[in-house]
Amino acid sequence: MKTNLQGFAGNLLFALNVFIIFLLIFENKLIVPYWLQPIGRMHPMILHFPIAILMLAMLLEFFRFKNEYNAQDLYQRFASNLLIIGAISSAISVIMGLFLSKEGTYTGETLQWHKWAGISVVIIPSLIYWFRNSSWYRAPLAKFGAIITFFSLIIAGHFGATLTHGENFVLEPLMPKEENVPIDQAIVFDHVIQPIFVEKCVSCHNPDKLKGKLILSEAKYILKGGKTGKLFVPGKPELSLLLQRIHLPLEDKKRMPPKDKIQLSEEEIALLFHWIKANADFKKKVIELPLKDSLRILSIAALKPENTEEEFDFAAADEETIIELNNSYRGVYPISKGSPALAVSIYNRSTYTFEKLKELSPVKTQIISLELNKIPVRDEDLKHVARFENLRKLNLNFTDITGKGLKELTSLKYLKNLSLSGTKINYKDLQQQISEFASLKTLVVWNTDLSVKEIQKLQTANKHVQIIAGFKDDGRNPIKLNPPQLKNSSSVFSESIPLHLGHPINGVKIRYTTDGTEPDSLNSPVFKNKPLLKEYTVVKAKAYKAGWLGSDVAVLTLYRNTYKPDSVILLTPFNSNHLANGDKTFFDGELGAFNANSPASATNWAGFVKNDMEVLLEFRKSVAVSSVALNTLIEPETIIFPPASIEIWGGATKSQMRLISTLKPIHPKKDGKPFIQIAECKFKTQKISYLKIIAKPLKKLPNWHKNKGKPALLLVDEILVN
Amino acid sequence: MEKDILEHGLNFNRRRFLSRMSLGLGSIALGSLLMPDLLNGGGMDEDDFVAGIPHFAPKAKRVIYLFQNGAPSQLELFDYKPKLREMMGQELPESIRAGQRLTGMTANQASFPMVGSFVDFKQYGDSRAWISDLFPHTAKVVDDICIIRSMHTEAINHDPALTFFQTGSQQGNRPSMGTWLSYGLGNENKNLPAFTVLLSRGIGNGQGVYSKLWSNGFLDSIHQGVQFSSGEDPVLYLKDPKGMNRHERRKILDNLSELNQMSYEEFGDPEINTKIQQYEMAYRMQAAVPEIMDVSKEPDDIIKLYGPDCLVPGTFAANALLARKLSESGVRFVQLYHQGWDQHGNLPFEITKQAKDVDQASAALVTDLKQRGLLDETLVIWGGEFGRTNYSQGKLSIDKYGRDHHPRCFSIWMAGGGIKPGIVYGETDDFGYNIVKDPVHVHDFQATVLHQLGLDHEKLIFKHLGRRYRLTDVSGKVIKDILV
Repeated sequence: MKTNLQGFAGNLLFALNVFIIFLLIFENKLIVPYWLQPIGRMHPMILHFPIAILMLAMLLEFFRFKNEYNAQDLYQRFASNLLIIGAISSAISVIMGLFLSKEGTYTGETLQWHKWAGISVVIIPSLIYWFRNSSWYRAPLAKFGAIITFFSLIIAGHFGATLTHGENFVLEPLMPKEENVPIDQAIVFDHVIQPIFVEKCVSCHNPDKLKGKLILSEAKYILKGGKTGKLFVPGKPELSLLLQRIHLPLEDKKRMPPKDKIQLSEEEIALLFHWIKANADFKKKVIELPLKDSLRILSIAALKPENTEEEFDFAAADEETIIELNNSYRGVYPISKGSPALAVSIYNRSTYTFEKLKELSPVKTQIISLELNKIPVRDEDLKHVARFENLRKLNLNFTDITGKGLKELTSLKYLKNLSLSGTKINYKDLQQQISEFASLKTLVVWNTDLSVKEIQKLQTANKHVQIIAGFKDDGRNPIKLNPPQLKNSSSVFSESIPLHLGHPINGVKIRYTTDGTEPDSLNSPVFKNKPLLKEYTVVKAKAYKAGWLGSDVAVLTLYRNTYKPDSVILLTPFNSNHLANGDKTFFDGELGAFNANSPASATNWAGFVKNDMEVLLEFRKSVAVSSVALNTLIEPETIIFPPASIEIWGGATKSQMRLISTLKPIHPKKDGKPFIQIAECKFKTQKISYLKIIAKPLKKLPNWHKNKGKPALLLVDEILVN
Repeated sequence: MEKDILEHGLNFNRRRFLSRMSLGLGSIALGSLLMPDLLNGGGMDEDDFVAGIPHFAPKAKRVIYLFQNGAPSQLELFDYKPKLREMMGQELPESIRAGQRLTGMTANQASFPMVGSFVDFKQYGDSRAWISDLFPHTAKVVDDICIIRSMHTEAINHDPALTFFQTGSQQGNRPSMGTWLSYGLGNENKNLPAFTVLLSRGIGNGQGVYSKLWSNGFLDSIHQGVQFSSGEDPVLYLKDPKGMNRHERRKILDNLSELNQMSYEEFGDPEINTKIQQYEMAYRMQAAVPEIMDVSKEPDDIIKLYGPDCLVPGTFAANALLARKLSESGVRFVQLYHQGWDQHGNLPFEITKQAKDVDQASAALVTDLKQRGLLDETLVIWGGEFGRTNYSQGKLSIDKYGRDHHPRCFSIWMAGGGIKPGIVYGETDDFGYNIVKDPVHVHDFQATVLHQLGLDHEKLIFKHLGRRYRLTDVSGKVIKDILV
């Protein structure tokens, strides 16, 4: 640095010092013109330079008189230049800071500390610079000055940071989180509303940094409002400034929080809305609000700690013991990694003995959940269960306990959930014991002898316990039975078949008809003794039972096929989607189902589209035949139609067959529900050994069909020869 | 060689070591910023993971997943869109569809007429949730369930979508959700598999359900799903052949396991151990399964609750009842599939029947678990693999229309297991086409399910073929807003 430049710098430093003193003396009378405000606002930007430069300069100053450095010209000049640059930048920064402080957004004690520490960071280095070459300025003084400046820098920096970022900004992530307030003690304002302000607003609206002359750190200031006016109109959230500002578009300058700050969550906005709506009360407790009140529900949600995992104060059980206690019929598991608590389940009614419970003694402190569902646990066994002092959840569903045993369990002071479904507990014992349980939250009593009225009485007397009654049919809304089912292994028979109808529900009465009429609940015969059927029969059956509505009609068709051929020769191939069971298809007794175009239900149907169905049946012994029928599916929507025509050829030998009968089945005239129908050719009884059946699928779908003109699909599952 | 050693010595002088190490330390420091657990010992390594013990205290112990295979239409069940009725037959605005890819079935359709639900909706319960008249029983338990209307997925066809839901990947070959749970939590009851599967079908268009959906993927085969059927032979090949008694079976198994043990010692293949375990499990199942399958002791109220079909083997109702019995006996994951929701053509007719098949039993399951004090520890899930379009596939008439596949939004519900009851989460636009609030991706859903069972979806991992796999692949976040 050239001497003249150094001289200029020295003069500048002096001038700046004078200016600072001037500003301090006339501080109260000073008004910063608006065009100078940007200079003031550059304070937070510039201040980092003096801090770094002065720190380095003070380090050099500290060691300046050390022998090895004393002689070094470069060291001395560098230290001196660094010091003056630091002092000047510090002075500029202070002037800017003084300008900024005049804007009035920052006030309070923190600002005062910051101001004076900052000023000392100008004055002290300046003094050092001016006198550092005097003869009385020696090592001790240099070290002392350096240390003082260093600490002044730290203090000024610290309070400056507090002003912008708020108290405890640095250590906050490490600070232990505040204990959660129990919900029954929480006050809506203190524990729900105020934390929102603290988290999202107070960094700008606090006594040290009153942006918009608003302070949100304490109730009295919140009531006072800010520059623009009162924050809210109690009971009228829509007229409240607070909510107006919150709901301004993000780009709006008046929007709060400003767009670069952390925004309020929807829940927080809702909380503020409902709090103001409920007259912005500062004293009310959360539990004083009505049960279904929005503010109450939101507050409880906000108060819930993030991590609701219960912590246990007992020690973990020995790992070896836990492993030993586990076997095929007893599971003993830690509830989670690192938790001392254990959950125990015992399975299998037949292998249970009291020992299974007794063996758990080594872990009696650690068990918090015990499942004994359907295990024959008796009242006296519960004495042992009562020793599991930390039990939270106990499942005794369908055990052999009675109301007497409950008394034993009342000593379980942490027991929260108790399930007693399907047990022989009674009202009297429950009524006596229920209030003895210290922590009981839910009690399950479904499928017990307790009446609806008794359960209601228990619930009224024990409001803090949720009593789960479950489903009990009151007979007011009877439901419909499902239809009866055919239990015969096949519905195709040769000579006769004992009709076997069944129903999955016990005690159901089945009434049926065989004449095509609908069965009714009074006159139709009741199904019993498996009546013998000898002909093709359509059985209609309905199920009835007291307390239920009668079922829909089940339509069950039984087919007679007297003569099963010795061999079936397929003269034409099946359609590739409906291959059924090959040459066995027509006499296997397996019937097809609806929805046959879906691959899953296509089985059992033999299909023909492109070619005719031609089947040759061979009987080793000649048979007297008077009827041949095809069982076909008709589902117009999916182009499944009856055959256009059927021809029956027969004869004593393969070569001597003649046409016995032809049939043109009736075709549907419009779209309709699918149905299954037999197409039967009846003729004069004749003795034959060979039968040829030719069925021609419809070549062109009728005009009313959406696919008119295209070929139809013929589906056959069984041939009946009688 | 000597030269190499010398070079190596030269290469590793002090300066080089320090400069390298500083780089190394720097990258560790950087790494710890990216992976916060890096220096805490909570590393993401499966060695750390103790199978059978949750990462943190679980809310749910078990899951029953009522999968509605074929994709039920949200617009006729849970997502009430009066606007679609108003605009019946009008063209779907391109601004709404915004170039969304369509299936081959409707991509060539000349027009996309919007169609409103043929069935009415009403509000129920304290939550005032809208439920269609097709689900009268579900409507009664609305305060016990959480309806999510903002599910979305990536796949547009059944098989990939279903596989994505169940395994976290559209391609298959990964372990399914139940398998992951079995791996993560182990068996609760050692007499039953941790993961069982039940199948049923309605009248509608059935889409395939294949065993790959309950496969163990690359996890140990002990974790694969075991299919139960409610017929005479509930678990195939479990019965002893004629003439074999239990004592003899035990003897055979003991000898067999000795032989297997010998071959394990020789080859060290872990699958041999698995096989021994599976034989033992089957032996114990022989005793446990008949008791579970026996529904004859169920009280009349239960039959009325689930509906009389619950006694007809193979129906959804029978499977729902069985699911409760399995779950109650400690089966971690009971997976039901009910086929037949794929209503492309005659939706009003088919969905009415389909809804009747499942409505009563699904609601009954929730009530039944509740009345046994089990709902708080059992997570019940109801839903399909994607949704259905707001426009009609094929010709539109008032009482007959179809809906195509729609992955952008659909509805499911969850109940119990620490899920907030009586809430409706997420929202779709007035056209029922896009999600406008709180979207839930399939991976988010999976992460949430695992979370309820005490498993961190980012830590439940398995290393296979050189990379670590998770059910949620590389994404997914727990939907905290629906948790109690």
